Amino acid sequence: MSWHVSEEDLRAYARGELDAPALWSADAHLTSCARCRAGLAGVSDPVALDAGWERLDAALDAPRTGVLERLLLRLGVAGHTARLLAATPVLRRSWLGAVVAVLLLSVAAAHSVHGGEFPTLFLALAPLLPLAGVGLSYGPALDPTYEMAVVAPMHGFRLLMVRTVAVLAVVLGLNGLATLALPAYGLRALAWLLPGLALTATGLALTPRLGPVLAPSLVGGAWVGLLLTADALRTGADGPLAPFTVAGQCVAAAVAALAAGLLYLHRDRFDLFQGRAA
Amino acid sequence: MTPTVSASGLSLRYGGTRALDDVSLRLTAGVTGLLGPNGAGKTTLLRVLATALPADRGAFTVLGHDPGTARGRQEVRRRLGYLPQTPGFHPDFTAFEFVDYVAILKEMTDRAARHREVRRVLDEVGLTEVRGKRIRKLSGGMRQRVALGAALVGDPGFLVLDEPTVGLDPEQRMRFRELIAEAGQGRTVLLSTHQTEDVAMLCHRVLVMAAGRVRFEGTPAELTARAAGRVWSSTERHPGAKAGWRTGTGTFRNVGDPPPGAELLEPTLEDGYLLTLDGAGAEVAA
Repeated sequence: MSWHVSEEDLRAYARGELDAPALWSADAHLTSCARCRAGLAGVSDPVALDAGWERLDAALDAPRTGVLERLLLRLGVAGHTARLLAATPVLRRSWLGAVVAVLLLSVAAAHSVHGGEFPTLFLALAPLLPLAGVGLSYGPALDPTYEMAVVAPMHGFRLLMVRTVAVLAVVLGLNGLATLALPAYGLRALAWLLPGLALTATGLALTPRLGPVLAPSLVGGAWVGLLLTADALRTGADGPLAPFTVAGQCVAAAVAALAAGLLYLHRDRFDLFQGRAA
Repeated sequence: MTPTVSASGLSLRYGGTRALDDVSLRLTAGVTGLLGPNGAGKTTLLRVLATALPADRGAFTVLGHDPGTARGRQEVRRRLGYLPQTPGFHPDFTAFEFVDYVAILKEMTDRAARHREVRRVLDEVGLTEVRGKRIRKLSGGMRQRVALGAALVGDPGFLVLDEPTVGLDPEQRMRFRELIAEAGQGRTVLLSTHQTEDVAMLCHRVLVMAAGRVRFEGTPAELTARAAGRVWSSTERHPGAKAGWRTGTGTFRNVGDPPPGAELLEPTLEDGYLLTLDGAGAEVAA
């Protein structure tokens, strides 16, 4: 056996302060390495050593975690937060596959249409993806453990924010990659970002009043209606739609900030069941 | 005995429907059954007592805390176990991972202590051997036990169970009853059910709800006693019976006001329940 647990890690292990994934490596290694077990005994007091063996028992008893959870742990996310995120419905292959498909299609459409200054279809669809992703990560209709989560001591708003940040990180990252596939448009291809944040924040801010399904649906519908109206009022065929102009981007930023403020003010409403009782 | 839950005047409306109408109750240690037809308001009452829904009117305390305040609600939730009517599971989780997830929601962040607790409750509900199995591969009865295990995390003082025996076969139901009886030792359990056998076998108290109101509160024996002298046998269904059905022997069992000289039968809890519903104006299904 060429690899052994370092003395520093053994001391941290004995104190119960060694974090995953180093903790897992140490747990697995200690079961089969007498030398490291002896080393552990040398750096431990008997009481702490017993606690360490108890942790080892618990770790061996726990089943192997899923791919997403392991990835999050490798990225430095705390173990309990990683498990909360692993339970987020939209962070699954089916949803991520759908997001990638939408982005690929809209990027392909932008490449196939020549002469325009803006990749309009891409800019129209990209803001809807974070709105839909966040909307699908929460609520009685979409989260199978919603009812148990609502009556748990963990604040509902905190759980919502943990999931929102995770979904935004994934979807905005994918949107960003798609943007890089449109280099000819320069920064104009990033005009989806502020509308995306505005739609997501507005959808969440309206959720306590309209519910977790109706609120993002209405906001998405309003976005489509806005784009259709802007298209009808557009003067030149190649000009940008109003939401993608500088003024439109400023409005989107203001809406995002206002909605975020409203969301924070109504944060306690996420602590109660948002649906109809039987 | 100090009540674990004390509620007075709880009311809640959904649009034009009065889901709860001036409900008052006291729950003490042991298993209390909650009977009632569909739409009686049982699930709404459980959700209010579990702090998921706020009542429009009325007040209640759980373990001395007022859930009407954010701090009180938090304290109640720290001592609460809740098994919803249709518990949902993340399909890719194993039994261990699911209970671990609920333990995290219950603020158990220390990994070693949390895993110890998860192993304890999985052992308590008899699932140690299948803890590593994906939930989607478990039987319906085992899934219910996983959900019960999740509700038992943290040794709650108040356990709310919403129709946990629905859809279980007789053997699974019997096993589940054993678990509920064990869970009721030293803590307060509110068990919503359609099965009068559940109440007869498990409960020291019973509430009957209909149309959002509590129509009966007492012991199972007292509910049964409501039907004393009001159950009789006949060769045909008696037209004056509130409910009546043909038994396996071919005779009819009638519940209601017997005619003179009727052959009276020993009443059951279900007979008392049916008569209570009839008095409440609810549909008597028999």
